[in-house]
Amino acid sequence: MSHLVLMTLYAALVGFFFALLWRRGRKEQTKLFLQIFLGMMIGAILVGWLMYPFPTGPAAPIP
Amino acid sequence: MTEAAKSVFPLRALLLATIAWLLPASGHLLLGKRFRAFGFVIVLLIAFGLGLRLQGNLYRPTAGQPLSYLATLGAMGIGAPYFVARYGAGYQGMPEAQGFEYGTIFLLSAGLMNLLLVLDVWDIARGRREDD
Repeated sequence: MSHLVLMTLYAALVGFFFALLWRRGRKEQTKLFLQIFLGMMIGAILVGWLMYPFPTGPAAPIP
Repeated sequence: MTEAAKSVFPLRALLLATIAWLLPASGHLLLGKRFRAFGFVIVLLIAFGLGLRLQGNLYRPTAGQPLSYLATLGAMGIGAPYFVARYGAGYQGMPEAQGFEYGTIFLLSAGLMNLLLVLDVWDIARGRREDD
C-alpha cells in the first residue's frame, strides 16, 4: 500500500474513533470526523509540500 | 452525578475497566452501548490487524531505552491481542519491511485508543460523564 493510502486510512480511523468517543448525534459526529480527517490529510500534505525543498539526507538506521 | 451512577460500586467500574482493557470495546458493550462498541471494535481491529500486516514493531521493553517502556505500555493498551500476538503467535515485526514505520504507528495507536476507551468506560461507570 502506498503512503497516501495508509495516511488516508489512518486519518479516517482516528477521525471515526474520536467522533464516536467525543460526540453524540450523527450531525456532531460527522462534523468532528471531517475536522479531524481533513485536518490530518491537508496538514500532512501541506507539511510534506513545505519539506519538499529540503534535502532528504541519509536513510534512517534500522532499529 | 445521577442516582443510577451513585449506585454503581467502584468495584464494578474497576471490573468493567479491566474487561474493557483485555477485550477491546467490550466495556461499552457491557454498558449497553452496542452501536459504539461495534464502531470501536471495528476501528481497533483494523488498526491492530493492519499494523501486524505491515510488520510493524509491537513494542517490548529494551534495556537502555527508557522510552521503549512507555511505548510498551502504550502498545499493551490493546489488551489480550497484544499478548496473543507477542507470546501466542510469536510476532516479532520486521524492521526491513516497507510498511514497518506505518505498522508501528497503527499498532501503537490501537493500544492508545483502547486505553482511552478504558478511561471512557471508567467515567461512564462512575457517572462522571454525561451519556446518552
